[in-house]
Amino acid sequence: MTTRTEAVYLPLMFLTVSMLGGLRVADRITFAPPPLFALVLAMLLLGVLVRGGVVAPERLLNAQRPAVANLNGLMVIVTTFFASTQVFNLIIPESGLPFLLFNVFLFVLLINTLAGSPDRVSVLRSLAVITGTSFILKFIFLTALSDPAGGAFKRALLSLFEGMTLGALSQQPLHPATGYIAFGTLVLFLIGMAMLPAAATHRAQPKLRISGDVSRHRRS
Amino acid sequence: MLMNDRPVRVIGLVLTISYAAFIVWLYGRQPQTMAEVTGAITARVGAYRVDRQAFADGLQLFRRDQLEAARAAFERADPAQQDARTQFYIAYSYYRSGWHRFYQDDREFQQGLERADKAIALAGGRLVVADPELRIHNADELRAELAGGLRTEASDFNPMRIFKGRK
Repeated sequence: MTTRTEAVYLPLMFLTVSMLGGLRVADRITFAPPPLFALVLAMLLLGVLVRGGVVAPERLLNAQRPAVANLNGLMVIVTTFFASTQVFNLIIPESGLPFLLFNVFLFVLLINTLAGSPDRVSVLRSLAVITGTSFILKFIFLTALSDPAGGAFKRALLSLFEGMTLGALSQQPLHPATGYIAFGTLVLFLIGMAMLPAAATHRAQPKLRISGDVSRHRRS
Repeated sequence: MLMNDRPVRVIGLVLTISYAAFIVWLYGRQPQTMAEVTGAITARVGAYRVDRQAFADGLQLFRRDQLEAARAAFERADPAQQDARTQFYIAYSYYRSGWHRFYQDDREFQQGLERADKAIALAGGRLVVADPELRIHNADELRAELAGGLRTEASDFNPMRIFKGRK
């Protein structure tokens, strides 16, 4: 990772994600602060990122680095946390039953991932799937259901869930621009995640140990 | 660390902290338009100016009791809503257009109250407008008048209140 990436590009990218993650365009523009549970989910995601080797905190903060470099490293970690918080704020529906279901689903998913031992590529792939699926559910599925005009997609969904009341599912209608901004924000977030300094020796140690054991065995 | 790394790192830190401060401000103030964002930034560095001609037009219309037109002119004079005096006049125009002898228009009074609060906040507390043609000069008094109009009290049912004039 270059100095420019660590000191400039990554913090600015994650801050942009933090800014746009709360942007809601309806009849007026609002910047929605994250709900408390988004902080919990972001903390879990940070744990997953470290455990999966997506980010290596020791490459950003260590005693050998000068103070200003450590400050840059700290900024990367802090902005990663805030960007994660705002991404959860973005992909989780605003109210009702979907708000509860999304929170529980993401919490269980992150706890499960944290309990396992995923590698860097798996974590990044899983993150893309989680954010992508949530985006589709919130900005396409739920938005179509909450559309007061009711387009063809809503009619198709209603016929699919015949007899089900939509009171618990419908959300406050948003301007279509919100969806486009959300898509761009998620792409920026995923690019930032892939650019984080990865753990260099992740998953390499077990292989080395095996080869050492074999050579000792041969000598004997 | 290479010697030429240091300026990049320092610039990165300054940019990050400034950008973060801007985001915190954005979430705290919740501006609605780009004009509000740029206006607030220019006001902070003391470079914000009210459109004098539009303000004079607004004042003239306000005195002729053409309140909706006056508000439009005042809004044009202070598009970023950063001038306490202009916001005071907008609040006052809402008070006058919402005041009726037998009832008060809650919607107009509510909007007036929001502008009065904004004027007080922009002035940093005390705001007195020395205009001899006004009956209320103090923003706190205007605010109290608007807030009082929004409350339902026993005095609202006093028939003598119809003799109370508009300020």
